[in-house]
Amino acid sequence: MRAFDTMNPAAVTVTLILAACITIFSLEPLLLGISLICAATYFLMRNGRRHAAFHIGAIGMPLLFALLNPLWNQHGTTVLFVINQRAVTQEALVYGGVTGLRLAAVLYWFRNFSDLMTSEKLFYLFRGFSPKLALVFTMAVRNLSLFRAQMRKIQTSQRALGLYREGHLIDDLRGGMRVFSILLTWALENGIITANSMSARGYGCGKRSSFTFYRWEKGDVALLLTALVLAAAVIAGILSGALTWQFYPQRIPPAMTLQYFGAIAAYAGLAMLPVIYEGKEMLTWHCLRQSI
Amino acid sequence: MLVIRSEKIRRVLRVALPFAIMPAMVLLLPRGLQAQHYALVTFLMTGFALLLFLAGFERRELGTRRMILVSVMTALSVLGRMLPVIKPITALTVLSALYLGPEAGFLTGALSAVLSNFIMGQGPWTPFQMLAWGMIGLFAGLLAKPLRRNRLLLYLYGMVSGFAYSMILDIWTTVWTYGEFTFRQYGAALVSSMPYPVVYALSNLIFLMLLAKPFGEKLARIGKKYGL
Repeated sequence: MRAFDTMNPAAVTVTLILAACITIFSLEPLLLGISLICAATYFLMRNGRRHAAFHIGAIGMPLLFALLNPLWNQHGTTVLFVINQRAVTQEALVYGGVTGLRLAAVLYWFRNFSDLMTSEKLFYLFRGFSPKLALVFTMAVRNLSLFRAQMRKIQTSQRALGLYREGHLIDDLRGGMRVFSILLTWALENGIITANSMSARGYGCGKRSSFTFYRWEKGDVALLLTALVLAAAVIAGILSGALTWQFYPQRIPPAMTLQYFGAIAAYAGLAMLPVIYEGKEMLTWHCLRQSI
Repeated sequence: MLVIRSEKIRRVLRVALPFAIMPAMVLLLPRGLQAQHYALVTFLMTGFALLLFLAGFERRELGTRRMILVSVMTALSVLGRMLPVIKPITALTVLSALYLGPEAGFLTGALSAVLSNFIMGQGPWTPFQMLAWGMIGLFAGLLAKPLRRNRLLLYLYGMVSGFAYSMILDIWTTVWTYGEFTFRQYGAALVSSMPYPVVYALSNLIFLMLLAKPFGEKLARIGKKYGL
């Protein structure tokens, strides 16, 4: 068992996308809670105490939604109190909280996804789909840092030429426009030169192979299959209506059947996968350090 | 689509299938489904339409130069998206579509959306942004001739695409918050997002006004210099 971020990117992507997509399309508070806890735990395991602002924003989401939803939602039968002749119902409050919970969980999953997927992993994924697209994508990523560096150079030289006045709004805007214009000329020209040298070296004649770090090993296949089977179980549960809550006009939770608990357990398994892989890795590291 | 011999029918289908037939299915299919699955269907269909259209590029001869220029324009618009409030992403997509063709426009728009979202935050809205910006580029490329000739028409296109972008994204907002799509809820979502479409339209206008002329000149200069 390897660390989660060294697994085959396709297996990792499928696991994360399935966990996130089921979260997006579900309104079951228990499932959403599990989803949020797993995603946030994984995020914390990878990042430690950094990104406090992100945590505050994400955790505040359910509260914000719970408070805002009753303002434009008048459904529900249990009136808590009345403001400005508008009834604030308990059902609307709960529904808002649940949608906020969903958004928070989804944000954590996507944040984890962007953290894990480095550009070379994305290249690997795109490559299977379309080599041309993969090339355009990687070159765009590379151009991003290239242009940033070039922009800094242009700015420095403009400043040295005395074309800037510090803290002057109009001058700043005009200077910014000029820098962008110079960058644009340079970027287009640089692109043409790159293309010319690529075709001079024979890009585009015949089929090409590309280098990659990633292979399919037994562990990758196992991860992919586990994720698919667990997700299939949850989706079957959702489609059969075992996880469907009714919020309006009255809150009716789904019946506590075997199917309900089965689907929830399957989802918990799916969402725990990254945490399990990461936790195992941390444990091994801890033991190795202990034995020194 | 390999079975269809006529080049013309294939070309029409390649645009019609992702952008006309599949959206129609999105609107018609869930009539029989529970409201809860509506968001899922919309999401999957959008993703599928994108994949279908992008897969078409593999078999197309886009040319090395055009591919490289698309990557250059994508990187520039991602850099531009970090500006506060006004974003040049639509203007740059439209411009690259005008001079590099509809496919290049679609690619620039769609790729800029994915790439910049790695900085701005990925989410379930990413496919919708890709589709919205991609379509703005695609149609700009299809209308390239009149748009290049008439500057006012170009500005109008920029402003309209600002509103269109917001309207496409509000389809997702509606489906996601209400779990279903009715025109009343869609209207409410449109109204509640009100300041944004105007900001989009204005920033497109500003950037097109600033960039349209120099961009054409720069490309012409490079064409002369390298003999394209």
